[in-house]
Amino acid sequence: MATSSLRDKYCIVGVGETEYSRHSGRTTRAMAVEAIRKAILDAGLRASDVDGMMSYQNGDSTPANWVAPDLGIRLNFYMDVVGGGSSTEALIGLSMGAIEAGMCRTVAIFRSMNGYTEFRIGGTGARAAQPVRGLDLAQVPFGMRSAGQNFGMTFMRHMYDYGTTSAQVAHVKAAHSKHASQNPKALLKDRVTVQDVLNSRWIVKPLHLLDCCLETDNATCVIVTPAERARDLRQRPIHIMGVAGRVSKPRTDFHWAHGPISRVAGYYAKDIVFGQAGITPEDVDVTGSYDAFTFTTMLQLEEYGFCKKGEGGDYVSSGVIELGGKRPNNTSGGHLCEGYTHGMNMVIENVRQLRGTVDDYCPKAVDGVHTYDYGPRKCRQVKDVEITMNLGWAMPPTGSAMILRK
Amino acid sequence: MPQPAQYRGMALVIPDNDSEWTEYFAHARQHRLMMRACAACGLMRYPPSPACPWCMALEWTWREVSGRGTIHSYEVVAHAIQPGFKDATPYVVVLVELDEQRGVPTPDEALRIIGNLVTADGAMEGERDAAIGRRVRVVFHDVADHLALPQFTLTDEPPVGRVWRLPE
Repeated sequence: MATSSLRDKYCIVGVGETEYSRHSGRTTRAMAVEAIRKAILDAGLRASDVDGMMSYQNGDSTPANWVAPDLGIRLNFYMDVVGGGSSTEALIGLSMGAIEAGMCRTVAIFRSMNGYTEFRIGGTGARAAQPVRGLDLAQVPFGMRSAGQNFGMTFMRHMYDYGTTSAQVAHVKAAHSKHASQNPKALLKDRVTVQDVLNSRWIVKPLHLLDCCLETDNATCVIVTPAERARDLRQRPIHIMGVAGRVSKPRTDFHWAHGPISRVAGYYAKDIVFGQAGITPEDVDVTGSYDAFTFTTMLQLEEYGFCKKGEGGDYVSSGVIELGGKRPNNTSGGHLCEGYTHGMNMVIENVRQLRGTVDDYCPKAVDGVHTYDYGPRKCRQVKDVEITMNLGWAMPPTGSAMILRK
Repeated sequence: MPQPAQYRGMALVIPDNDSEWTEYFAHARQHRLMMRACAACGLMRYPPSPACPWCMALEWTWREVSGRGTIHSYEVVAHAIQPGFKDATPYVVVLVELDEQRGVPTPDEALRIIGNLVTADGAMEGERDAAIGRRVRVVFHDVADHLALPQFTLTDEPPVGRVWRLPE
């Protein structure tokens, strides 16, 4: 499907985040303020330069119009949408639309969540006790409520359809833990092996504990503005080549009705995002594939064409996705190891990769000086990154994607 | 219907104006598995929905299905999230492809439904016999006067296609 394109007309100019922790001890408002402030300073903007703000949440955060005034920001446009994973890329696209429509000039997009100490993403606590109504009646009464429970049957069918094994997808966790060991911000910095994953206890088969991502308290922010404005700012502008948002399979009311159920939304999103960008998967240097689970990374990489459909297990276990490999994935450690942010930390990481200023353990990382030694507590900057891609996952039938370049 | 119905510590909320679910669960309480069928094109759909996803018609009727089908996929919950399921672990959730309307109107589509794999008398079935390809039939778990949950139990019918379960 051909869609129109705003390729290279908009840039991500600032990024910021709070600590990734399990003990924020403060409100989502306070965390959002810190992440937005850091992104504004990172961009070299003033508060008065930001006149648009967007966020996404599931009744677990603070809306934009409560956060902006804390920083003295008066807004010409704001919107808080319901959603979690796959929102980051979609909202970046919407912010470009708002600017293109003349509604505002510069948009800060944030996600702030006490995903461990308040609203646990895994569904325990308050969420488990919520009344069951509407479409939830088709699955929740049968003990199918958490994300892992929601996706497990998709993963199992992929194993049936293609022979994918637990050991193959465990390589995703091993690779991301390797990357996290070079990330001072990561919540889990210890490297784990494939065998560690396979030895960890079952959560919902086919998912072991270490196939599942973290629950985290944190806030993240990215700032979008037109390319001509970006040229005057502090950082190297990172251009948005293409974006696709919340692209869906048929029958999102009950996506199992329309198979193959081992197919995910990237099947429909890939032509939109690659079409806009005018590139192919071969042109991408670094990927950020949403790792709510090891399997979600694998499913998306194959659906977007980084390997053939069904060969995702071989692809993720081949070394390609590790630092030092041909196309590293989630170089920050991602949701499995750095922390869970509903996707935005993988966008922030790719922006830093493109700038060449990944915040690893290299002493002069901030100046773009790196050793490219991928040992523990060392470097995680990829050499000569020109193009990155983010693959955002919400559910098996819904996803987003974005391609960035220097 | 008394509100809400309580099941495994959950409040199942099906108000009288729930135009999708009320009649479906009332039929289930009569131990009949009924699908919504489009009055225009005749295709059945699940879950019950206000319009035909294939022809957009708003008119529909209820049509009974056999409740027999094949396990299309499954999962085994070892770590329960909902408190009422803690004592049931490990329990099996199955995606059942019903015998009616398989591969219709396109090869990838089917009437599929989610339930627990249970024994013939309704207790949670162990995971040992859960496998893609195994045949199942519906059994009903009565929850309230106007509400029963369709569940699925294994049958001795020959499997459909390749039988597969997660390697130990």
